[in-house]
Amino acid sequence: MTMGSGRTDAAPAGPSGRRAFVDPDLGPIARISRSRVLGRIGRLGLPIALWFAIGALLVVPMAAFLVQAFSPRLFGTGPEWFTLANIEHAFGATTVVGLVDSLVVSVATSLIAVVVGGLLAWGVHRTDLPGRRLWPVLVWVLLLIPSFLVAQGWEYLLQPGGVLSQFGLDTSALFTAFYGPLGVVFVLSMTALPFAYITISAALLNLGSEFEEAARVHGAGPVGTARIMIPILAPGLLSAAAIVFAETMSDFGVASTLAASAHFPVATYVLFEAINNNPADFGLAAAIGWLLVASAAIPILVQAWALRGRTFAVVSGRTRIPARTRLRPTTRTIATIATAVLFVIALGAPVLGAVVASLLKDFGTSFSFQALTFESYRQVLAGDLGLADPLIFSTSLAVIAAVVTVVLGLAVARLLTSRGGGRVGRITDLVLLGSVALPGIVLAAGYIFAYNLPGLTNLGLDLYETTPLLIMGYVATALPQQARLMVGPVSQLQESLVLAARVHGSSALAAWGRTVVPVLSRVLLWGALLTFAKTLLELPVSQLLYPPGSRPVSVAINLYVSGLHYDTGTAMTVVALVEEFAVIVIALGLFRLLAPRGWRRGLGPT
Amino acid sequence: MPTLIAVFAIVAGACSASATPSPVPTATAAPPTAPPPATAAHAATAPSTPSAAPSAAPSYANVPLIVYSAQGYDSAVVKAFQAATGIPTQLVDDSTGPLLVRIQAEANNPKWGVLWVDGAEAFAALDKQGMLLRGYEPNVPFNAVGRSLIPADTSYIPTGVTMAGTLVYDSKVVTAPPTSWNDLLTAPWKNAVGMNNPSVSGPTYPFVAGLMNYAGGVSQGEAFFTKLKANGLKVNNTNPDTLHELETKQIRIALIQSSAGIGAGIANPSIKTAFIDPSTPIPGVIGIDAKASPAVIAEAKAFAAYVLSPAGQKVMQGGDPTGDSLYWPIVDGVSALPQLPVLSTVPAKAIDPYTWGPLESTINRWFSDTIVP
Repeated sequence: MTMGSGRTDAAPAGPSGRRAFVDPDLGPIARISRSRVLGRIGRLGLPIALWFAIGALLVVPMAAFLVQAFSPRLFGTGPEWFTLANIEHAFGATTVVGLVDSLVVSVATSLIAVVVGGLLAWGVHRTDLPGRRLWPVLVWVLLLIPSFLVAQGWEYLLQPGGVLSQFGLDTSALFTAFYGPLGVVFVLSMTALPFAYITISAALLNLGSEFEEAARVHGAGPVGTARIMIPILAPGLLSAAAIVFAETMSDFGVASTLAASAHFPVATYVLFEAINNNPADFGLAAAIGWLLVASAAIPILVQAWALRGRTFAVVSGRTRIPARTRLRPTTRTIATIATAVLFVIALGAPVLGAVVASLLKDFGTSFSFQALTFESYRQVLAGDLGLADPLIFSTSLAVIAAVVTVVLGLAVARLLTSRGGGRVGRITDLVLLGSVALPGIVLAAGYIFAYNLPGLTNLGLDLYETTPLLIMGYVATALPQQARLMVGPVSQLQESLVLAARVHGSSALAAWGRTVVPVLSRVLLWGALLTFAKTLLELPVSQLLYPPGSRPVSVAINLYVSGLHYDTGTAMTVVALVEEFAVIVIALGLFRLLAPRGWRRGLGPT
Repeated sequence: MPTLIAVFAIVAGACSASATPSPVPTATAAPPTAPPPATAAHAATAPSTPSAAPSAAPSYANVPLIVYSAQGYDSAVVKAFQAATGIPTQLVDDSTGPLLVRIQAEANNPKWGVLWVDGAEAFAALDKQGMLLRGYEPNVPFNAVGRSLIPADTSYIPTGVTMAGTLVYDSKVVTAPPTSWNDLLTAPWKNAVGMNNPSVSGPTYPFVAGLMNYAGGVSQGEAFFTKLKANGLKVNNTNPDTLHELETKQIRIALIQSSAGIGAGIANPSIKTAFIDPSTPIPGVIGIDAKASPAVIAEAKAFAAYVLSPAGQKVMQGGDPTGDSLYWPIVDGVSALPQLPVLSTVPAKAIDPYTWGPLESTINRWFSDTIVP
């Protein structure tokens, strides 16, 4: 069996360290070897296919964009084959200020979101906090609302002549405070809260209460128990911090509204201005892109340093449904009020802002009770503004993107958490977080550079301005989030679950289908709903990749909002949000009705 | 992975027919139902030279013409054009910024046939990169303003005109608006003036460039904006933000495009629009992709001719009556919508797009770094 040891065949050494050599004439021994080789190829097949997908979806387009920092000539966007001028520009005063602003905002937002999201998750899943069924639904509603709406809602409430001032309240001091870094951190913390909550919830739900009970048995109080539990939950907490950090670095919704109006430049906005210039400065934008990607390495390094060499697999077939801590009456009241206030703050303002704006006449930007009208809704629903076609088009693409992203996300999460994944896992993680840290416009422009090459056209592979490429762009935008959200639950599944099924005679796939899928079914469902919701109103990828003649709903809304039809655009936003919410309610209802009972008891953020 | 490929294959099969332009057929005859392009336009507007219609055209049977446009009336015009000519026309309707990003990112392998946005400066820049077809202007009776907007190398086609940086105010708040640009620098207008950021809002760069031109050059212009900032100028992203500040009385004067100001006046009659001498005209402009196939170029020429025909002008004026339709026509025989003042009463002074277009990125960056913060 050592015959092939000197060859450089593709099959890696197996557990025994031996390599196989395949020759059909070698009899029974070779047949065994052959089946091992096939097994290895099978084992390698999935990661290779996955890396092919990640390469096509993320690495190639990102690289096509980022390489222009050094070689603009490559894609015809500048004269030089090699230059360092863009990197030099990127270290100019404006960009550095933007980057520092972004870093400070991201660190602050990560801390706030993880603490608040963690407390909320703990309260919902581990205590008898009232409204336990309501709060997770509100978290998802918050997740659906684009960050610019949250920013705008607050502006409507607080500004001079705004909603609150109509009630005779003087909000000028609050408005001044809101119009700057504080407001930016506040809004981003609210919009990032769901990521932290869902990631931490997944980790918490997968954890039986035996660890808490053991701590209590040994006399630990709440602080002592927390000291035991926080390290066990470390992967979830760090994962939550990493995703919030990267999401905040790449946020454009707040950057282009509140931060821009308050003249608080963040990195994504500086990058956007470089691209939006005429002629577009792709080189400078790419150089800023490099800085954003490098910043995404920060949470990865922190995570790797904190988790080095430790295993966190705590969910097994024996994991029991955790018991809930009974809160003391005073604590219970305070916690309930705090949670209610949190959601009034996080959700009330943007919803009020959007609804009020959609009901305004005039040119739809000021508030007074006399100005309220349903005209814009009549126009959207019954007029000839044509919201129906964009909405149907975007809905169908969002459904496809959601299904594809969930399947890929699960596979990627598995790759990230598989033992021995080591370097491959870390590189995958860096690629995913790096792509989260880049704003959507970078990925979208990268798609044009990578998939609109004359060579591809000559081969008949004209992907640019087709629906499949737009779907690929949507999947690429959603995949990193999806994989991140699944890393927590997947990392905590013990191999023993699948092994037990294999021992009982299931094939590898069937073993997964019978153990992992039921346990993760709710996580998968919520993951799909998240991608659906985010894709439906996704803007930058839609803008740069949509096929001629098929306008996505986000582009239609953006045109009305940025033109002179603000009220109509906002009414469209409200209609689209209502559709999102309806789809989510129906999907959850169907799951409740149709899924086997065991699935319903599986993991999930509710 | 197989699932992914299968899904993509299904989607590709289902969608590619409508989404991907088919290869260009060479010499197919025009379908009998499709009239020759713009014949109607020429018959009506230029009866003396009917043969000057794009004569090399008629092979556009099934090649889709792809129109990139940021005009509020574009979708109405594209529909009407397709109905009138039978030319399959697909629209990418978006703001100017993303459309120009698309065009520049696809420079190696362009997919667009027609670009139709406001402001000649962007076209001058594209022309300098060799991206625009030269040598074609539709044979229509351009008026004097229209003729003045045609570039020497005929690399683009003006389709109408609005004014940049007009003075928009609430007549209940402001009874005597400023009458000169220098008035804006005086104490009565301290903290009272708002405008858009030219790096974000397409039609704002012509305003900045026009003022700099009037001031005597870039450095004099920079000095003017620096003084304006010292007098409390507020810079927002786009029209809705600036109009919003006007409505909520955070500012008293908004310097925005005339169509936006007049449109706001339709919704709220106390909003008035005034013009300071000189105002800078912003032409609506069509450019044709120099690298497009001959069939697409023929279709694009037909499109431009249709837009400037009486039929096309009627659709343009009806497509967005409280927004972009509020332009001044530049062909004889077509009147502006009644809300617009007579163009000859507007004190306008055009700027040379070939001088100011190439300066756009430098000036915008200066504005972002110096005036916006």
